[in-house]
Amino acid sequence: MRRRTALAWNNLTHDLRRLAIAIAGVGFAALLMFVQLGFWNSLLDSTVEVIHVMNGEVIIVSKSKYAMPAVERFDLRRLQTAKGVDGVVTAHPVYLEGWESLLRRTTSIASEGKAHRIRVVAYRIDDNVLSIEGLEQHKNALRRPQTAIVDHLSHRKFSFPVGSGLNKYRGELADRRIDLAGRFTLGVDFITDGNLIMTPSNFAKYFPNRAFGAHPLSQVDVGVVTIVDGRTPIDVKNSLRLALPDDVDVFTKEEFIAREKHFWRTQAPVGYIFLVGMYVGFVVGVIICYQIIHADVSDHMPEFATLKAMGYRNGYFFHVILCQSLYLSLFGFVPGLAVSYLVYQGLGQWTGLIMTLKPSSLLLVLLTTIGMCSISGLLAVRKLLTADPASLF
Amino acid sequence: MFQNYDTVNLATKQVMRSETGELLDQSIRVKDLQHFFGDGELRKQALFDNTLRICRGEIVIMTGPSGSGKTTLLTLVGTLRSVQEGSLQVLGRELSGASPSEMVETRREMGFIFQAHNLFGSLTAIQNVKMGMELFNFSQTEMRQRATELLTRLGLGERINYKPNSLSGGQKQRVAIARGLAHGPKIVLADEPTAALDEKSGREVVTLLQELAREQGVTILMVTHDNRILDVADRIVSMVDGYIKSDVNVKESALICSFLHELPSFAGLMPSTLATIADKMIAEPKSMGEVIIRQNDEADTFYLVRDGEVDVHAEQDGKIRHLATLKEGQYFGEMALITGERRNATVTAKRNTLLYTLTAEDFHSAVDSSSSFREELQKVLFERQ
Repeated sequence: MRRRTALAWNNLTHDLRRLAIAIAGVGFAALLMFVQLGFWNSLLDSTVEVIHVMNGEVIIVSKSKYAMPAVERFDLRRLQTAKGVDGVVTAHPVYLEGWESLLRRTTSIASEGKAHRIRVVAYRIDDNVLSIEGLEQHKNALRRPQTAIVDHLSHRKFSFPVGSGLNKYRGELADRRIDLAGRFTLGVDFITDGNLIMTPSNFAKYFPNRAFGAHPLSQVDVGVVTIVDGRTPIDVKNSLRLALPDDVDVFTKEEFIAREKHFWRTQAPVGYIFLVGMYVGFVVGVIICYQIIHADVSDHMPEFATLKAMGYRNGYFFHVILCQSLYLSLFGFVPGLAVSYLVYQGLGQWTGLIMTLKPSSLLLVLLTTIGMCSISGLLAVRKLLTADPASLF
Repeated sequence: MFQNYDTVNLATKQVMRSETGELLDQSIRVKDLQHFFGDGELRKQALFDNTLRICRGEIVIMTGPSGSGKTTLLTLVGTLRSVQEGSLQVLGRELSGASPSEMVETRREMGFIFQAHNLFGSLTAIQNVKMGMELFNFSQTEMRQRATELLTRLGLGERINYKPNSLSGGQKQRVAIARGLAHGPKIVLADEPTAALDEKSGREVVTLLQELAREQGVTILMVTHDNRILDVADRIVSMVDGYIKSDVNVKESALICSFLHELPSFAGLMPSTLATIADKMIAEPKSMGEVIIRQNDEADTFYLVRDGEVDVHAEQDGKIRHLATLKEGQYFGEMALITGERRNATVTAKRNTLLYTLTAEDFHSAVDSSSSFREELQKVLFERQ
């Protein structure tokens, strides 16, 4: 093929002002998709983050616990049984409290008397049940009574002091005094606004009634099972299933994460809302791209019609429009991605939600941008392909 | 049949067409073409029974008021519209029912010059012209050379690398013209090509078109209202309300007018009236020896010798006398029409001859308007005194 005049490239780059507007439009469409996709991923990633950090291959929960926020617990004795099962190294309890755990700051005039729910996570610190960033240095402090450490991604409404002012914090958890010994990083989700970590013994003092009269630590929220090297999680899970009564469910960690995500995707209204938001983002993106490309093609219709009158075939117009759409989608994608990265960073810091730019999201948005630009281009050019040239002038 | 018609090329063609209907060098043949716009109740007929034949190398100008269908006909010929009813052959290809692929093939042999320049604002003048050539087997060098030549010829040599934004309206139009001609089309279709041009560049464009027609046999069909360029036309087709009202062979018509002007009965007629008479004349070829009129026959026709020679004989007292030999530009048969008598002589073709004839009725109405013109003139002059 002889080298032809690069019509697509020339048409696109000829009017720089127009190109800038088109790039801004396509970039905005990409940004919209990135943000919606980010929220959607964040919803799923943030809610399973607490599961992610559990140091175990198999998870035991109450049969009735359909999702992490559901307050359904099981008897500690199930973990004793689990420890005796072949292939199990050990089984640790994780205690969660998100309902009775009202936290009130007492030193701040602004929030005096205002209590907010915070999620309290308790486990035996020395057993490293959860891998928590920043925990190591606070292990000794946590052994003190009425002491906890706080998630630095917690919502601002708790008015945790910044920097070294944390030891001056005075507050009450469930109407009992609490001291804060340091910070760790876990992250919030759409149910949880903040996290505290403490030892089970402290936990029992704050929430004495959580087991309805029995010892507060006898009712477990999540059991984390570590397995012997060389055994597969599925294998051990099956053994546990046979060994344990029907009031608990046993999952591999991956299954449990998948189940949790599935719940948020399909059962929770918030999942639908973000899913719809993502679709809306895509639809709006397509409309923006269509507008831009359609306007461009329409403006050049007499010229294209002249080419058609010269004997250029439809294949040529396909080629030109698809090239132009491809260039435009790539041009728009790059700034869209850059701005999205900044928005992710900002939103992540501001809300404490996990906002990560995954390679899969990147590919999805890139392909969608190219796809919607191409489809828009073809929609805009279809009149040119089918009509008699005389009707196009 | 006719050998020595090089000098009257166009007349010959017309005659031969009317006789055989088939001719190899016909570029465009339109027959009983109808065209409609709209559907259902809004369906409106735009072209009625259009029939037109255009030969290779002819320059045909179509005129007519707006809405008369000339652009519709032009775009149909250009395969920019699909033929609905009737027959349309371009370069020997029937376009009625042609496949899109056949239409594209035909299109590539034609060059278009539109009323609007339709240049790509993103491409330079030479790139725009090259767009017209990239479909064909030109090398890059050839394309560059041809495009530069054409643009230079059209007075844009200095501006081949300018984008349309930096060119005036007329310059843009000339780039568009270069683009339409660059690939060496066999037919050029032009819709008001000179509308945006000043007199000088308009003249340059039509001279270029004329050269293409004369030297390369390019057929040119042009819609225009520009009176300044009517002189390049071999034929002027005038359309009204979707009908081809007249199809005038301009040079031939002018020649006939000049012959008619010599006729005393027609003296004082306005050129427009003479042209109307010329339009009504019908070409009649006669073979050598053929008797055209016979002495003592009823007189019903006026004759003008277009080409060839005729002998005039009269029988007097039992003897046949040769009265005269009439040549190109001379006429006969008018006397009997004016006096109302029978033919007073016999006329035979001395060799193969082409005559133009006018019916008695048309002849009389022409003479009447001539005399009324004279009376009118005398009256005007009289009143002045």
